[in-house]
Amino acid sequence: MESTQLSILTISGSILIIATFSVVARRGFMDWLNAYRHQSIVLAGVTAIIGYITGIWEIYIAAALTLIVKSIIIPKVLTQVTKRLEIEFKTETNPYVSLRTSVIISALLVGLSYFLTQQIPFRSDPVVNVLLPVSMAQFFIGLFVLVNRRTVLSQVVGLLIIENGLFLFTMVLTHGVSLIIEIGIFVDILVGIVISSILLFRMSRTFDSLDVTNIENLRDD
Amino acid sequence: MYSMAEIIIGIIQGLVIILLSPLITGIMRKTKARTQKRMGASVLQPYYDILKLIKKDEVVSDQSSWIFRICPWVNFVSLATAAFFIPLFLTYSPFGLAGDLLLVIGLFALARFFTMLASLDVASAFGGLGSSREMMYSALLEPALFLTIFIVALTHGGTNLSTLITAVSGATLLPHPQLIFAAIAMFVIVLGETGRLPFDNPSTHLELTMVHEAMILEYSGKSLALIEWSQAIKLLILLVLVVNIFVPWGISSSITILALGIGFVLLVAKISILATFIAYFESSIAKWRLFRIPDLVAVAIASSMIGIILYYIK
Repeated sequence: MESTQLSILTISGSILIIATFSVVARRGFMDWLNAYRHQSIVLAGVTAIIGYITGIWEIYIAAALTLIVKSIIIPKVLTQVTKRLEIEFKTETNPYVSLRTSVIISALLVGLSYFLTQQIPFRSDPVVNVLLPVSMAQFFIGLFVLVNRRTVLSQVVGLLIIENGLFLFTMVLTHGVSLIIEIGIFVDILVGIVISSILLFRMSRTFDSLDVTNIENLRDD
Repeated sequence: MYSMAEIIIGIIQGLVIILLSPLITGIMRKTKARTQKRMGASVLQPYYDILKLIKKDEVVSDQSSWIFRICPWVNFVSLATAAFFIPLFLTYSPFGLAGDLLLVIGLFALARFFTMLASLDVASAFGGLGSSREMMYSALLEPALFLTIFIVALTHGGTNLSTLITAVSGATLLPHPQLIFAAIAMFVIVLGETGRLPFDNPSTHLELTMVHEAMILEYSGKSLALIEWSQAIKLLILLVLVVNIFVPWGISSSITILALGIGFVLLVAKISILATFIAYFESSIAKWRLFRIPDLVAVAIASSMIGIILYYIK
């Protein structure tokens, strides 16, 4: 492994972290979708770089699938579904932890993931060394967004970020599971998005809001 | 020790910053005007403004004290002193022995402190409003600025600007991913320190949104010229720091005429591009609500925190 390749990997990992952060730092649903789209494009680029470094051609197909499914189809589907929702459902006005605190917390989560991966001895493989903490950071940040936000839409985006993190995780550790499984996962995400969008549309009809705390009520008082 | 030629070039570097700064302000104003489909004034307009203001008489409130009168001079002197520490087109400045990056920030803080005092001194309502906002901004921006500087100083060894920029000009950006995070944080900080748009609108006199303009509202004549000029110097110093720390390509490391010429032309080109970009960025966003500004500063702080983590982990 040349040092230039390692540097390119490191830089792309950093860009991935930056793309993940823009989901945390924004308020509107459209901003999140754009951030998710950018993140997926960067993720596809990182996957292609992994493919180039390891020399396994199947990874290129996974990268192309990532580019098509995650940066084109999923944002399109979500935009279409949420077109009829009212604008106040789409902005996160009242998260449990304020935006500025959550940005700092996410930075700490990035630090935590670096700290955790330092405990695992993977010294032999530089790809793992560089990108494993990035994937874990994505996972943690996605989880944090999921827990912190109240509206269903932002939780969907949080789920998508977690999925991106897991995708990178498997890609880094196994250099691509078999292509059939990859395609299966992509179809799974798509179906998941469609189902969740139907659910959130019904929810907006029933409760007149997308706040998840409404679901916790058993009766309609 | 430095030779005579080096000392002369050092003096020229400081003078170039002082003399070129209104031009950069003019370029930014022109860009903003063009993006808003206006013709805009000439890029030399800030020079004409300063010359005209110097010729004009000055009105000073009889309620004000000496602080109000010396504030423009303190502003100008501290920022002009800071200009001499900045390596411009040569990788080092012979005056770098006397002070480093932290001193430059200290001089910025001194100028800002006196501006806030002077705005409180005349006891107008706008002055108090402006200085309280400015105090909030500076208290928020300073930790972010220091974290960013620590990233750069840790990466290249030392806060002395001359050794720092000599080290930067020899290294490539590629093996230092933490510098990307530092650059993002630095961009936000430059916007905040110079009062550009999401923080403060430099071209408005609308009471509710102004910060810096509210503080200098009472000034006229020569004092106003000095304050405007020192503000332009501050902007140029920060832009030069960004350019020379993060994209130092082409900066001269020897004192031959050719290398210095190339360094100067490239520097002016890079700074003009950066200034145009900032002006364009300003046109594309609106001023943020005052209490949303901490969100933006939090982004800068988080970014530099990740940069430091990356530095230590890698």
